[in-house]
Amino acid sequence: MNVTARRLAGLLLGTLCVPSLASASDPQATHEFSLDNGLKVIVREDHRAPVVVSQLWYKVGSSYETPGQTGLSHALEHMMFKGSSKMGPGEASRVLRDLGAEENAFTSDDYTAFYQVLARDRLPVALELEADRLASLALPADEFEREIEVIKEERRLRTDDKPGALAFERFNAMAYPASGYHTPTIGWMEDLKRMKIEELRTWHEAWYAPNNATLVLVGDLTEADARQLVQHYFGAIPSRPTPPAKKPLELPEPGERRTVLHLKTQLPSLLFGFNVPGLATAAAPREAQALRLIAALLDGGYSARLPSRLERGEELVSGASANYDAFTRGDSLFVLSATPNAQKGKTLEQVEAGLWRLLDDLKQTPPSAEELERVRAQVIAGLVYERDSITSQATTIGQLETVGLSWKLMDEELSALEAVTPADVQAAARTYFTRSRLSVAHILPEEASHD
Amino acid sequence: MTERTALRRGLLGLTPLLLGALLGVAAPGALAEPVARPALESLAALNGQAPARRTLDIQSWRTAEGARVLFVPAPELPMFDLRLTFAAGSAQDGDAPGLALLTNAMLNEGVPGKDVTAIAQGFEGLGAQFGNGAYRDMAVVSLRSLSAADKRDAALDLFTRVIGQPTFPEDSLARIKNQMLASFEFQKKNPGKLAGDALFARLYGDHPYAHPSDGDEKSVPAIGVERLRAFHAKAYAAGNVVIALVGDLDRSRAEAIAAQVSKALPKGPALPRLPAPKAPEAGTQHIEFPSSQTHLMLAELGIERNDPDWPALYLGNQILGGGGFGTRLMEEVREKRGLTYGVYSGFTGMQARGPFLITLQTRAELSENTLGLVRTILADYLAGGPTQKELNDAKRETAGSFPLSTASNADIVGQLGAIGFYDLPLTYLEDFMAKVQALSVADVKAAMARHLDPNALVIVTVGPKVAQQPLPAPTEKPLEQPLAVPEH
Repeated sequence: MNVTARRLAGLLLGTLCVPSLASASDPQATHEFSLDNGLKVIVREDHRAPVVVSQLWYKVGSSYETPGQTGLSHALEHMMFKGSSKMGPGEASRVLRDLGAEENAFTSDDYTAFYQVLARDRLPVALELEADRLASLALPADEFEREIEVIKEERRLRTDDKPGALAFERFNAMAYPASGYHTPTIGWMEDLKRMKIEELRTWHEAWYAPNNATLVLVGDLTEADARQLVQHYFGAIPSRPTPPAKKPLELPEPGERRTVLHLKTQLPSLLFGFNVPGLATAAAPREAQALRLIAALLDGGYSARLPSRLERGEELVSGASANYDAFTRGDSLFVLSATPNAQKGKTLEQVEAGLWRLLDDLKQTPPSAEELERVRAQVIAGLVYERDSITSQATTIGQLETVGLSWKLMDEELSALEAVTPADVQAAARTYFTRSRLSVAHILPEEASHD
Repeated sequence: MTERTALRRGLLGLTPLLLGALLGVAAPGALAEPVARPALESLAALNGQAPARRTLDIQSWRTAEGARVLFVPAPELPMFDLRLTFAAGSAQDGDAPGLALLTNAMLNEGVPGKDVTAIAQGFEGLGAQFGNGAYRDMAVVSLRSLSAADKRDAALDLFTRVIGQPTFPEDSLARIKNQMLASFEFQKKNPGKLAGDALFARLYGDHPYAHPSDGDEKSVPAIGVERLRAFHAKAYAAGNVVIALVGDLDRSRAEAIAAQVSKALPKGPALPRLPAPKAPEAGTQHIEFPSSQTHLMLAELGIERNDPDWPALYLGNQILGGGGFGTRLMEEVREKRGLTYGVYSGFTGMQARGPFLITLQTRAELSENTLGLVRTILADYLAGGPTQKELNDAKRETAGSFPLSTASNADIVGQLGAIGFYDLPLTYLEDFMAKVQALSVADVKAAMARHLDPNALVIVTVGPKVAQQPLPAPTEKPLEQPLAVPEH
């Protein structure tokens, strides 16, 4: 899986609600250790079902790539299924399938991760296979020739023939003028056409080292089980220096940017994006937490401001969303998207004005106690609900660690939220929702041809 | 990461084809270079036992008003899930396509004394999650809440008003209709949706499964509040629902919740069963569309959810194209030729005969030959059946993935909903597993041949008409046996 919709994945209630020590139930035992070769391991116990998820996260993704080599991390992820010293091409997947495991991988701008969900007694197989392709990836040239065609089909399916995804790719390219976040994770088609197997080999040698990875295990196992197994399968893999990885930093105020895209869509829509810090780059973490709270106030439920004011109240939009991913390696983007209510004859210009009314209101009026209490209630409950899924627990841990934050943040959500004052919300809105930080895309139906 | 496991699809009778494509990346295949490799020590060490799964204590009863209840206590987390499944899908639309979906979407738009925003504030202020959705057979309304008494009781109180006393405000209806009209506009540029709609229309003719659940731009504007009220009174009746409950509740609390829900609903019996669809006319329809890929859908009428052949068809399909990687379709179309990102097949067991579907997308200039390739793979499989090794592998996979199918409360409540809705026995999960393990090659071959005819396919293609090119030659390497996967 390729997390190309990365920036749209960061809605507060999607990422903020994670298992925790917080009030509602007993803490979930979580252990952290490292092997001598630098592999970091985090084990979270969940004994409800005899099932384990294993996720191996590498600190490499499309934001590490250079022009002309876009799509390299994602293509390497595909080729990780094409054999290693103990396995022929595709064979590891066959072995795992026969064991009833669910397995796959995903790539984003900040990470590449591989996972297996399986009955607990089968975990050693997942670890042995994962260690083998870390240490001895085969990268056969003939397999790559066919696999790059599959990747092009993936791009056609998920980007080129999907107007929304295509628009977002172009929008990102504009909204991140300085950092590697302008690169689409799947890669530009022209770069896919000229990608060489040697580039993938170099990429694997550069970044796939135990000291550049985090192994997350969640489920029905103990720390002692995990230590023994991980040491056994990964312990002998030598550590290796990796290239310097610099945080993707943006221009603080790049200036207002606007684009008009004519795509295969029937209805117009628009994207707004403000250049903002992430939790890893904010001068004070509270700034990023305030932005997360704003995203929740705008779009954290059917009673939030976007649906209640613009969708239902003014009937200005037929749909709208707000997204902010604070858990990034570098500077982030606060994104609003909206579709004008065509049946009511609303225009893109009216929708832009409506979005500005909401943003200006955040600057001028502090959120009400009642509104804040609703967000708090959802966070508290979300901390419990998230524990129902071992996969989402593992993903939260892996993402936090891989972008340079600590998994412990997931257990500190409530206090982080409660530390944000109404004045912080106003200050963040005033600082970040400015025209000099804004990118706007108008997405319009293709004009009728006149030939 | 929203993929469902193959097993969950098998048990629930859902296919990814209707739920959206799997997001796969891996590229398996049993193709291996003929070189000696060290065996996996971890695999050799497995003891060959089928794995255990989470123990489920499924309890069932009927409420005073006749609703079937399925309950599994799960005290580990301080939360519960309540899922109501009504036989109130678009198959009950009658002459108003979209009626079932609109009624379902309008439930939480108003109750006496509360408008839509007040309802949303109510749930969200408690940290509760309200959910709803309407499909062809069923309409679902769900609640997830903390189990602490103050949160639980308040959330249930609001929930029972929403399902029992919706006011269907005119202004909300107008707004939601407008949103549906906007989505119809977007759908006009979605080749996958165009293909799916055309396929169901051809497959089902005048059967109520023929039209899409969201209706169309002619039917939706004509639906008024009175239609919604009448539909609610009949299709949201206590005799027409299955109540599934999982979570931190004891039996008496679960009984009280089920009674409260059931009492809040309109009184009435289950709706009559759907008619059987007539056999469709085989053939291919092409829809011209300016995409870079061509979408291909191949279908036949499949089975009812209670069909005794379901375990054999599930297993047979796992080998053909179910669950992602390592299937015959994926091997031939993606792995050996690089023609597609994904190709999947599946039976959807429904109240009346659901579809058997194969879906894929490929670049337009190869679409006709790719379609020919897929037809050949299907015909060969139906003629020859699976190999003994394929059968053994698929059985092992099914047993191995069993624990994943009931790992979370969300998984369990979904299983209970399906067991209740399709009137399956409480031992259904174990029965299914035992039946799968008892199947022979001949059983699977015969079942597949009983239900599928390679000459009866209804095919829809959506894409641009371009000059066609020959397919690339496949890679052919000797198949290597997987290394010592233990039997169980």
